[in-house]
Amino acid sequence: MNDSSSAKVIEWLKSAGGITVTCTILVAIAVSFHKGPYVLVNTLVTGGMWALMAIGVSLLFGVMNISNFAHGEYFMIGSLTAYYIMNPLKQYLLETPNDFLSFITPILGIAGAAIVGAIAGIVTDKTIFAQLRKRNREGWLLNCFLITIGIQIILINVHMLVFGNTFKGVVNYWDVPSVAFGDVYVSVDRVVVFGIAMAAIVLFWYLMMYTSLGKKIRAVAQDENGARMVGIQVNGVYSTTFALACGFAALAGGSLLFMFPSYPTVGVAPLYNSWFIIILVGFGNVAGAVPGGFMIALFQVVTRTYMGEGWENVIPMFLIAMILIFKPYGIFATKVRSVWEQ
Amino acid sequence: MKNLNAGYGFLKVLWDVSIQIDRGEFVALVGPNGAGKSTTLKTISGLLPPQSGKITFDGQVINNQDCALNCRNGLSYISEELNLFTGMTVLENLEMGAQLLDDKNKMEENLQFVFELFPRLEERVGQYAGTLSGGERKMLAIARGLMSNPILVLVDEPSLGLAPQVTEEVFNALKVLNKKGVTILLVEQNVTKTLKFSSRAYILEKGEVVLEGPSSELITNDHVKQIYLGT
Ligand SMILES: Nc1ncnc2c1ncn2[C@@H]1O[C@H](COP(=O)(O)OP(=O)(O)O)[C@@H](O)[C@H]1O
Ligand SMILES: [Mg+2]
Repeated sequence: MNDSSSAKVIEWLKSAGGITVTCTILVAIAVSFHKGPYVLVNTLVTGGMWALMAIGVSLLFGVMNISNFAHGEYFMIGSLTAYYIMNPLKQYLLETPNDFLSFITPILGIAGAAIVGAIAGIVTDKTIFAQLRKRNREGWLLNCFLITIGIQIILINVHMLVFGNTFKGVVNYWDVPSVAFGDVYVSVDRVVVFGIAMAAIVLFWYLMMYTSLGKKIRAVAQDENGARMVGIQVNGVYSTTFALACGFAALAGGSLLFMFPSYPTVGVAPLYNSWFIIILVGFGNVAGAVPGGFMIALFQVVTRTYMGEGWENVIPMFLIAMILIFKPYGIFATKVRSVWEQ
Repeated sequence: MKNLNAGYGFLKVLWDVSIQIDRGEFVALVGPNGAGKSTTLKTISGLLPPQSGKITFDGQVINNQDCALNCRNGLSYISEELNLFTGMTVLENLEMGAQLLDDKNKMEENLQFVFELFPRLEERVGQYAGTLSGGERKMLAIARGLMSNPILVLVDEPSLGLAPQVTEEVFNALKVLNKKGVTILLVEQNVTKTLKFSSRAYILEKGEVVLEGPSSELITNDHVKQIYLGT
């Protein structure tokens, strides 16, 4: 490492983002010494998924200027889909055991959740936002805010009416022994869910940076008219963005079904989490959503461990308020400001 | 383009404007600030839907056609606002301009061509468009508009805010392009220079065409002399 790059690292460590990231890592280490490393497992498993949720919200805001308050309901759609795929298959497997089918049942459930979520996203864009775009763009932000609140209320109530007010969950995905990391045992479900989040994040990053679809999405985000002038069909790009964002939310919902059983308002907490993350790392900062996701997850796990159930939304909320007062553009605002908009 | 009326919402800007351009021509549209020149180009390009009238391109009516589709058909619009992708590099902007081309070789060829027109861009391929100087941005916008092999290029005030020397460079580039068979509709306020470079011109005032004809004749026209050339 030469002088200038080490100077840069030191400078970054002294910035708000650097301090927060360093503190988070120190807290994580301290807690895992004090309460055992199991605390960290849940941080990693949920953090990756909150990051996916926040990436979706960030994407919709960055590309289409929509602040989506219904994003949690796509999480709910994902968990519901996963439940209705996994549960009947698991019932069937009780009577007729089949190794291969029990292996792919969770995969089918999670993949199905992502696909249904993506389709729901496209339907939302085509039936609602495409129509609004055709009319005019006046008061766009406020209209979208109100519309997404409406979508949230409708989806929650449809869930209640059609599927009832009960908890619909599965106990676990795979009935296999836990994996040992040293002397820490972690269930296969958790390892796989963490892997899914990481894979989705890496694939998404690759998609945005190197594929022609990703370049089109970035072009539309940076200058919509410019994109139209070079021949990009923006309506297609908008639908794809919705499919990606809602697909990620539903993927998170499906993947976390064993921790969060599906019920009408299951998406509300994930929605708050993604807004926490976005405020924390700054609006439109898609790359920052990843560390943000893990930070929020850690805050929540730590407060739940030390202060008890219920506090896990209070403490992060307080921290967010502090951040908004002292760093209103988020902790990375000066440094990271989204990878593709530097 | 025939009897075109256009505007924004309830505001009407263009009043029965008719313009006819043949293949291979270099036509200029000049007029004072606020005459509706940019509105004319925006409407032709498809960014702004016309209120009434008929726009034909290559024998096809393109009245409510999306800008993206017009680009596919060979109509390239280089706007006054430039509409660059500021978070992408010069090269990425040019690649986006060529994103409709299927042929990779063709893109390389076009890249060579625009670098010949604007050598300055080649020196800055890796630089973010948002960090370019005003003149370089304009060059990049024009270059991006040429990457798609257009038949017709609509350019809005390329000289605006440029040093006279750079303006000369840009106009020469347009001339080179026209010699290669590309049709050009150039919008300008810089009347003297524009009339020198173009073969035919329309003069637009308050949303109406007040004069039209070969540039060499307009340059000696009394009205033009009095109002635009100040002699
Ligand atoms: N986006 C817009 N919304 C409303 N009015 C506009 C808009 N753009 C331009 N105008 C109005 O249309 C008229 C013509 O503008 P423009 O076409 O830009 O003229 P020019 O390019 O000849 O200077 C002006 O009076 C201007 O105020
Ligand atoms: Mg103008």
